[in-house]
Amino acid sequence: MYFPLTDPWEPGATLGEHLHSRGVSRRDFLQFCGEMGAILGLSSLLTPKLAKALEQLQRPSVIWLSLQECTGCTESALRTSHPTIGDLVLNLISLDYQENLQAAAGSAAESALQQAMKDHHGEYVLIVTGSVPLAEGGIYTTIGGRTARDILEEAAAGAAAVLAVGACAHFGSVQAAAPNPTRAVGVDQIVKDKPVVNIAGCPPIADTITATVVHYLTFGRLPDLDYDHRPLFAYGARIHDQCSRRANFDAGQFVKAFDDEAARKAWCLYEVGCKGPATFSPCPIFQWNGETSWPIGAGHPCLGCTERMFWDTMTPFYQRMPKVSGFGIESTADTIGAALAVGATAGVAAHAVVTGVNRMRHRKEGASGSGGGGPDGGSASHEEDRHGQD
Amino acid sequence: MNAGPGGGGAEAASRETRDRAALGERPRPAVHGYRWVYLWHWPIRAMHWLAFGSIVVLALTGFYIGRPYFMTGTGNATSYAMGWMRFLHFAAAGVFVATGIVRLYWLFAGNKFERLPALFPLRGRDLGNLWRMVKKYLMIRPERAPHYLGHNPLQQLSYTLVYLVGAFMVVTGFALYGLSNPEGFFYDAFGWVRELLGGAQGVRFWHHVMTWFFVIFFPIHVYLAIRADVTELDGSLSSIVSGGKFVREDLEFEDE
Repeated sequence: MYFPLTDPWEPGATLGEHLHSRGVSRRDFLQFCGEMGAILGLSSLLTPKLAKALEQLQRPSVIWLSLQECTGCTESALRTSHPTIGDLVLNLISLDYQENLQAAAGSAAESALQQAMKDHHGEYVLIVTGSVPLAEGGIYTTIGGRTARDILEEAAAGAAAVLAVGACAHFGSVQAAAPNPTRAVGVDQIVKDKPVVNIAGCPPIADTITATVVHYLTFGRLPDLDYDHRPLFAYGARIHDQCSRRANFDAGQFVKAFDDEAARKAWCLYEVGCKGPATFSPCPIFQWNGETSWPIGAGHPCLGCTERMFWDTMTPFYQRMPKVSGFGIESTADTIGAALAVGATAGVAAHAVVTGVNRMRHRKEGASGSGGGGPDGGSASHEEDRHGQD
Repeated sequence: MNAGPGGGGAEAASRETRDRAALGERPRPAVHGYRWVYLWHWPIRAMHWLAFGSIVVLALTGFYIGRPYFMTGTGNATSYAMGWMRFLHFAAAGVFVATGIVRLYWLFAGNKFERLPALFPLRGRDLGNLWRMVKKYLMIRPERAPHYLGHNPLQQLSYTLVYLVGAFMVVTGFALYGLSNPEGFFYDAFGWVRELLGGAQGVRFWHHVMTWFFVIFFPIHVYLAIRADVTELDGSLSSIVSGGKFVREDLEFEDE
């Protein structure tokens, strides 16, 4: 664990010099650069260039705002695959303001934030975790007596780029789920005049955050983004298409219950509600907590947490399909559909019986009556004609 | 007598007769009191049966994909059940889309029973007849129901609905299909569907739910087709095979 206040990055020193002074070996640094390059999808031929660019960095200023959130994203960020450098980079650049990690507290912390925003106006990277509640003037999250919206707007005004980290900053996460009592919204609902990168996930994988920051520091611009402003290098493919259990899906081998034989054999979790087929995330590749495991690897279906409004659209988490509202709790689309199909068939059969009865009645009337039947005599007289032809 | 009221009127009808004669076909049957009318060109009939076959395959494989409760593999991974189901689903979807393209083209190239206006009962007369058709099927004064050579207004509405639901299934299907390749054409081209229906899960839900439309439509459609054939005695059931049906000489038709 790196402690921000020890051995600070001297003004004017490059990252290379700073890492050297902290005892990080050249080998470790190059390994880190290679891994970041791999995550970003860069050729290994570019690793020396990446290393050179990072090495020569002057101390970048990053401000990390924690708004309406659970700090889980910070927890995740601390668990980069290679803590010595991953942590270092994140914490170093977070030096200016990070509520969970900074030593300062109270007005000292707030004045540090103000100082950082003033000193690096227009240059700092703003990382935001947590959503912004708008209901009742935004009183549901206040820090130092100011609302989350107020703080975010001020910090975003001087930011070079904004990284919305985690589902809360992305779209509001669980607090924005229906009925969203605090009217929580994501960062891109507030910051409209700056590029906002959504590092989606609840929480996101630490390496995704690190790699995005590294990309920005190396190339001076944000990585390529998808339609929801998520970095393509991480969110460019579906979980389903990268899943270690995909072979079981294709083979038709499915877990039916969490304690069955199929679950022990690590078969596909499709039928117990896995949202991998609807979710774009690098989980199967990057994995979590230093590549230890990931939800599906541990036998739990994907909840789809990198997708916008997943608390509303991906629930029930343990079923394939959303429920149909208004038909009672247990009815699914299939029970309603099957009932309607049976109803239609029954209705059709009943209609056929009535038609037959009517025809028999008409036939009797026709036989007892004059039987001629004019052109407008309907089906009964029509049939009379036919019998006449026979 | 034997010339059906084709698309371009008398001229098209005579061309039709000439073409058929040139092919050495037997003349159209004419039974006393009846005449035979040609309604559905072969593209329409081919479309109908190919669409029927593909919908059957799509529904069966689709329900498996939605909830693979049968044919689950047993232990060794030598089966490729889901893989084959998805392959069949996509292949049948290709056929279904092809029939849709044919139908679209024929909305402009077909005769007056097949053209675009025949899908929408919008004339004032049609609306009244629509109501009379509804009453007919409710067995209220069925003798007052109007006579149509092609589709009556109620049929027009139902088949237009089938086309619309079919188009909905194609669009939502492609939106789901595109998910596997985010750099591909379908992902971008149908991204708006996902936005409209609340993400991939919403699309999946509606794609699944609307399958039931076809399951419900099927018995009603078959019943009414058979019923019309039995009660009208016009051989209309075979018109989707032969292209035509017999109609009585003494009836007046709304769309003649």
